Amino acid sequence: MNSSPRSTANASRARGFAGTLAVTRREIGQYFDSKIAYVFTIAFVLLANTIFMNEFFLTGNVDMTGFFEQMPLLLPLFLPALTMRLYAEERKSRTIELLLTLPLRPIQTVLGKVLAALFVFGLFLVGTLPIVVMLLSLGEPDLGQILAAYLGLFLTGAFLIALGTFVSALSSDQIVTFVATSVAAYLLALSGHERVVAVLDGLAPSLAFGSLLRDAFSLTPHLEAFVRGVVSLQSCVYFAGMTTLFLWLTAHVLERHRE
Amino acid sequence: MIEVERVSKHFGPVKAVDDVSFTIEAGEIVGFLGPNGAGKSTLLKMMSTWLPPTSGAIRIHGYEVTQDPLGVRQSLGYLPEHNALYEGMRVAKFLDFIADVRGLSGAVRRERFSWVVEQCSLEPVLHKWVSECSKGFRQRIGVAAALLHDPSVILLDEPTHGLDPLQVVAFRNFVKKLQAGRAILFSSHILAEVLSISERILVIHHGRLLENARVKDLEKRAVEGKKSVEDVILDVVREKGGAR
Repeated sequence: MNSSPRSTANASRARGFAGTLAVTRREIGQYFDSKIAYVFTIAFVLLANTIFMNEFFLTGNVDMTGFFEQMPLLLPLFLPALTMRLYAEERKSRTIELLLTLPLRPIQTVLGKVLAALFVFGLFLVGTLPIVVMLLSLGEPDLGQILAAYLGLFLTGAFLIALGTFVSALSSDQIVTFVATSVAAYLLALSGHERVVAVLDGLAPSLAFGSLLRDAFSLTPHLEAFVRGVVSLQSCVYFAGMTTLFLWLTAHVLERHRE
Repeated sequence: MIEVERVSKHFGPVKAVDDVSFTIEAGEIVGFLGPNGAGKSTLLKMMSTWLPPTSGAIRIHGYEVTQDPLGVRQSLGYLPEHNALYEGMRVAKFLDFIADVRGLSGAVRRERFSWVVEQCSLEPVLHKWVSECSKGFRQRIGVAAALLHDPSVILLDEPTHGLDPLQVVAFRNFVKKLQAGRAILFSSHILAEVLSISERILVIHHGRLLENARVKDLEKRAVEGKKSVEDVILDVVREKGGAR
């Protein structure tokens, strides 16, 4: 047996963002090794492109508004599938103890996992870029509006991924995590839908509960602003605030809810 | 190196660990002996920062577990009881992940990686999936991950669980060679195992520390009482722990 080459404690100190990126690399590896990244990216791209083509052939407009407006119905199905395993699997397999006794702050593990899920979501969005290329070859779409809509979609994705990560940290059952996140995401999306708002307002006109819910809670009006090409400070603050809130809550749960 | 000061841990009305104190210096191998459910793993989980103590203080390499958990985790090599590993990773990738998180790089990283692979005999499984490895290899992967950053304090919770007799002997020799400059605490419910490696024994029962004695002293008491060391320890448990 050789004597051990001693390294100093400082040499082994996990340095800031490097620890977060180590978690991100591991998670991205898991997405690809488990084939989740391939299956969900292909499924999302096929569905998204089908939705666009359907809209495109019906209206004949050289824009993507209809496509982006359908996304609040698609993302609550696909993004919980990406986030359901993030902590639930760690709890179920007990690797959570390994992860949280490494020299990482809980928030570093949260950011690392969220960045990995965002990377796969980024692949979803890249898979829809052929639509933009096609529109450019057919006419002169409003590129500024499309860019704003993609930004809105990315921010919506970040919010729902943060929400899903939080729910995943609460449970060791991936199915429960998926369903709970999906239901919460649909509530966030549908509470801003005009028909839902009208029905809820109609139930108690003096309270205007539907409008109140849409204005205070729903992500849909904020995404719709981006889809119209409006990058408003209010919508940016909404997405950034909600994402940060759920990242913080996840770290808090990991700190408190160990076993 | 390890200071445990009046530590208790309550789960609701249950006292899993009750007012336990001890210290372990660098260069010591200490065996933590007790039956299943005695509180060994709970205490090790608190020392690893996984669980917070209800009261008392634990200092590892000068870092207090609740005040500076990152300092503790840097100084510590910890093999948890269940040794859960990332099943969906290849062994080399898993160790790379641990090295990344611990900030190892360059020559130090290569040196440490080669050292743990050699010492834990992981070469044959390095490119296999963790899920394909036998229990013995999985235990060694866990030990390799715990030692990769060359920690000054090592906590091993039932480290020989699942190993075959030859692997147990090899493991004991391996731990003894790690002794220089390090504080090592390992838990077991098997007395022979604890006696074969450690110089000092901590006996825990129903969450209370019943004995903190050098093996030599226990052997001396055994000779004086014309009993085995096992009987001496059982007497301690009967007298102080209320066991029948």
